[in-house]
Amino acid sequence: MTQSLRIVERTKAFFTEIGDLSFFAGRFFKEVFTRPFEFQELLRQCYYIGNRSLLLVGVTGFILGLVFTLQSRPTLMEFGAESWMPSMVGISIVREIGPVITALICAGRIGSGIGAELGSMRVTEQIDAMEVSGTNPFKYLIVTRITATTLMLPILIVFGDTIALFGSAIVENLKGAVSYQLYFNQVFDAIEYSDVIPATIKSFFFGFAIGLVGCYKGYHCKKGTAGVGEASNSAVVYTSMLLFIIDFIAVFLADIFFEI
Amino acid sequence: MVTMKKTASQKLKLGVFVVVGTLLLIAALYSIGNRQNLFGSNIKIMTQFSNVNGLELGNNVRYSGINVGTVSKIQMIGDNQIVVEMLIQEKIGKHIKKDAVATIGSDGLVGNMIVNIIPRESEKPPVVYGDTINSYSKIGTDDMLTTLNVTNENAALLTADLLKITTEILEGKGTLGLLINDSIMAKDLKLTIYELRKASTGASQAIIELKDIISSISESESIAGVLLSDSISGQKMKTIVNNLEQSSVEITEVSKNLNIVLKDIKEGEGALNYLSNNPDLVKNIDSTMNNIKQGTQRFNQNMEALKHNFLFRGYFKKLEKEKNKGSKN
Repeated sequence: MTQSLRIVERTKAFFTEIGDLSFFAGRFFKEVFTRPFEFQELLRQCYYIGNRSLLLVGVTGFILGLVFTLQSRPTLMEFGAESWMPSMVGISIVREIGPVITALICAGRIGSGIGAELGSMRVTEQIDAMEVSGTNPFKYLIVTRITATTLMLPILIVFGDTIALFGSAIVENLKGAVSYQLYFNQVFDAIEYSDVIPATIKSFFFGFAIGLVGCYKGYHCKKGTAGVGEASNSAVVYTSMLLFIIDFIAVFLADIFFEI
Repeated sequence: MVTMKKTASQKLKLGVFVVVGTLLLIAALYSIGNRQNLFGSNIKIMTQFSNVNGLELGNNVRYSGINVGTVSKIQMIGDNQIVVEMLIQEKIGKHIKKDAVATIGSDGLVGNMIVNIIPRESEKPPVVYGDTINSYSKIGTDDMLTTLNVTNENAALLTADLLKITTEILEGKGTLGLLINDSIMAKDLKLTIYELRKASTGASQAIIELKDIISSISESESIAGVLLSDSISGQKMKTIVNNLEQSSVEITEVSKNLNIVLKDIKEGEGALNYLSNNPDLVKNIDSTMNNIKQGTQRFNQNMEALKHNFLFRGYFKKLEKEKNKGSKN
């Protein structure tokens, strides 16, 4: 009896959280188009989210390109199809692996950072103080961060894809004696707009999801230092899950509209 | 002041980050678009196929192996005619002549379908916007598989027959079976081959000798040499042979006539037939001849008697004197 009650309670809590998150997103869309606009804070957040994540995304992307190519080479060589490597790696990175891996890295770094930052602000009652002083904390803290993640993630993904392709090109050049020119020629021969456009649109949603969940978890942080850790942790977990759900929906829609 | 400096530096870094990222995206999009001939001037040409073998929009168009454009439209007209519209780079368009032929091929064994434009070395003018070039439909994979299927069926029938034949051979049936399995026959064959070898050695020797004989024939000193080499003698021989031939024709003619005559004699009612065929006549003639012989003897006796008769004695003496006189002279 207690077990079933617990399940009901958890289900109820889950749907309540989904509903709360939806209201939170709705409030964001309401606040984002109304004055005053916090441009300075937006730029600062863009800098911290974009520039500060570039190194991590770049290193991850480079290693991703290297490893992906090294791991795929033997299989393709078995079929005598190593000449297909640039096309295969190019399409895989641009269409799927690049955006998803970059988004997951950013979910770990940015999502947890936002969750912890806002959580600690909530715990130390800074947000309450802002409300008392007449500043709209949602506009200043949430809208800027979600907008920054939404705008910066596509650019980070472009950097991540480019660096990953360079990593792959280096392996192909060293192992397969494929010139860089030939490699990128084959990559751009294989990639089409139907690969780039859905991936780019998808990356905006990834950014939005990272910012939204991170801000939501931090903004609704429970009292105490444990609450900050939980907010940070759950922001990463929920964001990662949400990223895969968005990815599935994006692939599904791209299949309908672009016939990939 | 420090905060402001930091903010300005952050803004610069952010600006560089955003601009570089956006430029990378634009460059990638331009590069992709450029390869699909979305930028730059293109000309549109068309061709018709009855089967496009899975050709899709955006597939490459190649001219002499170079990617020169893309497929921009595939439209069905009529029941089995498909119009394929292609966007070709304008700078390449001037090299494609109006009689160029388009075929549908595959980029590698498992690659995308492509349209190949095969050039023609002619003096025809280059294609212009909206031209339709000829097409040539290669045999499709399905057709190939159908043909292979028939071939496989035939191969199965052939192998079944071969199996039957080889089984019978192994069982020693038929000539081949005997040849393979019969040891006595094998020995005989071996012997025959040995004899054949001997015979061929002899023949070879004989040929060598014959060659020596032929080479030893003098061109002018022997009959054979003359026959083989003298053209005048050859001409004479030819004339002789011709004459012989003519004579044989005449002889044949004569023999024919003789046959007719003999037939007439045999079958006709003339004197000769009577003479040759009637045995009574022979008897009569024989008796007549006997009578004549007897008559002649008696006539001689009479004549002798006349010589001794006084009436004619003077005449006979006179004849004898003239005879003697002639012999003296």
